Amino acid sequence: MQANGAAQFGRFLFVLLSAVPIVAGVGYALLYSLGLTGVMAEGMTGAHWREVLRDAAFWRTIGFSLYVALVSILIALAIALALVLRSPRTFTKGSLSYMIYLPLSIPAIVMAFFIFQLLGKGGWLSRLAHQLGMISALGQFPDWVNDNYGIGIIVAHVVMAAPFFTIFFANLYENERLGDYLHLATTLGAGRRQRIFRVGVPILLRRGLATVFLYFMFVMGSYEIPLLLGSQSVQMVSIRTIQRLQRYNLGDIPEAYAISVAYTVLVVVLLSALLWFNRRQMRPS
Amino acid sequence: MLQTKNISKVFQGEQVLEGLSFRINEHEMLSILGRSGSGKTTLLKVLAGLETADRGQVILEGQDITTVPANRRGIVYLYQEALLFPHLNVFENIAFGLRLRKQPESVIKDNVYALLERLELPEQAQKMPEQLSGGQRQRVAFGRALVIEPRVLLLDEPFGALDSETRTNMQDLLKGVAKDYGLTAIFVTHDLKEAMLMGDRMGMMQKGKLNIYDKQADFIADKATGVLEEAQFWINLQDLKK
Repeated sequence: MQANGAAQFGRFLFVLLSAVPIVAGVGYALLYSLGLTGVMAEGMTGAHWREVLRDAAFWRTIGFSLYVALVSILIALAIALALVLRSPRTFTKGSLSYMIYLPLSIPAIVMAFFIFQLLGKGGWLSRLAHQLGMISALGQFPDWVNDNYGIGIIVAHVVMAAPFFTIFFANLYENERLGDYLHLATTLGAGRRQRIFRVGVPILLRRGLATVFLYFMFVMGSYEIPLLLGSQSVQMVSIRTIQRLQRYNLGDIPEAYAISVAYTVLVVVLLSALLWFNRRQMRPS
Repeated sequence: MLQTKNISKVFQGEQVLEGLSFRINEHEMLSILGRSGSGKTTLLKVLAGLETADRGQVILEGQDITTVPANRRGIVYLYQEALLFPHLNVFENIAFGLRLRKQPESVIKDNVYALLERLELPEQAQKMPEQLSGGQRQRVAFGRALVIEPRVLLLDEPFGALDSETRTNMQDLLKGVAKDYGLTAIFVTHDLKEAMLMGDRMGMMQKGKLNIYDKQADFIADKATGVLEEAQFWINLQDLKK
């Protein structure tokens, strides 16, 4: 009985600490966006939602956030998988296994600053290109930060995500005995490319799918990096939401909340799709 | 068929294989008995091309394959665990080697379904590996190896992780399949009874050295194999019952 009580209390505590704040926050945002609460509450209205959903800039924001997250994760995954499948032991033993943690310990805002220093028009690469005679003035250096393609944001996220995925996949490689799978595939006749693309990559991605997805959502909702490296004309969701919340016009606040609720719905839909995909794989045919 | 000449290997200062020279005939199953650390697995990996020997030669059907890469030897190495590819269903696991060889779809289907039938798994074709029992997984692993018609099959304690009933069933199944397909195989085990049941000939591996017995009587008579000791144990038990 005591054990049962303790388990129930544990569950209650978990729900209290994890679910309640999120549900409360989203609930408040929903009520605010519907005009049911807040300083400018005017009673139940769908006007703010209509405003947001009809605004092309909102859809550009969602699309841009998805694009940045997708490209960043794909590049980081490609780098991490290539490193791990080329030399798996390098990242679990020896000095590199410690050094690879370094980029992970750097705060996002500091990483954004580094990237700004590296890729900006007055940055290190620009100066180097100038010294090498590749450009005659620093202003000729291409726009790699605060640009409409999110190059700076993507580079910063890749620099942070690639080491994370490398450590993650290197440990998966060991725990899932991928070396044995690859040996087995070799004796079945697989060449190097076949081993990588028919065995190594699918096994690592299958096992790591949930983590990859969570990191994708993290990048999509990131704030500090796009704040420093992003463009004003095409914004990521978090930047647009915060800017609307902090405007002098109090009428913008319900719209900011509507954006945050819409973004939450998108996350829940994507998460549900992932769970459905996972369950489908496990279901007997 | 398969021959080794003076294979030796030192690993971290320890002599793992010491001057191994032996031969297996076509369609023969050689079972090798040995304790953990006796060098059985290293020997199989050297034969498969997954490890390199410091000295010696591996000859298959008269051709020196010592430096031939593992994927071109036609020697399949099976682990104790089935190691079915977790992202592929049963059908695709078995079809794996044929897809590597870019065989036509009709050939793949015919071969895979014939093997599923022979391995008593026709209902499991679309299942994922985690939906199978230990014995079923091991059957699929056999199917995946057999479908490419390996020149030699190397089995590294393939039934070690199975319960005794499943193990007995699998031993019968493998004996039958080996006969049907005319397999040439090396079966490594630390189980005395299994070594005697599975092998057409038997070998005993100790501290990197392999002793092969041409007759079962020689294997039984050698004290090092432990057969006499085992037999005496059961005789004593019978006597106690009386």
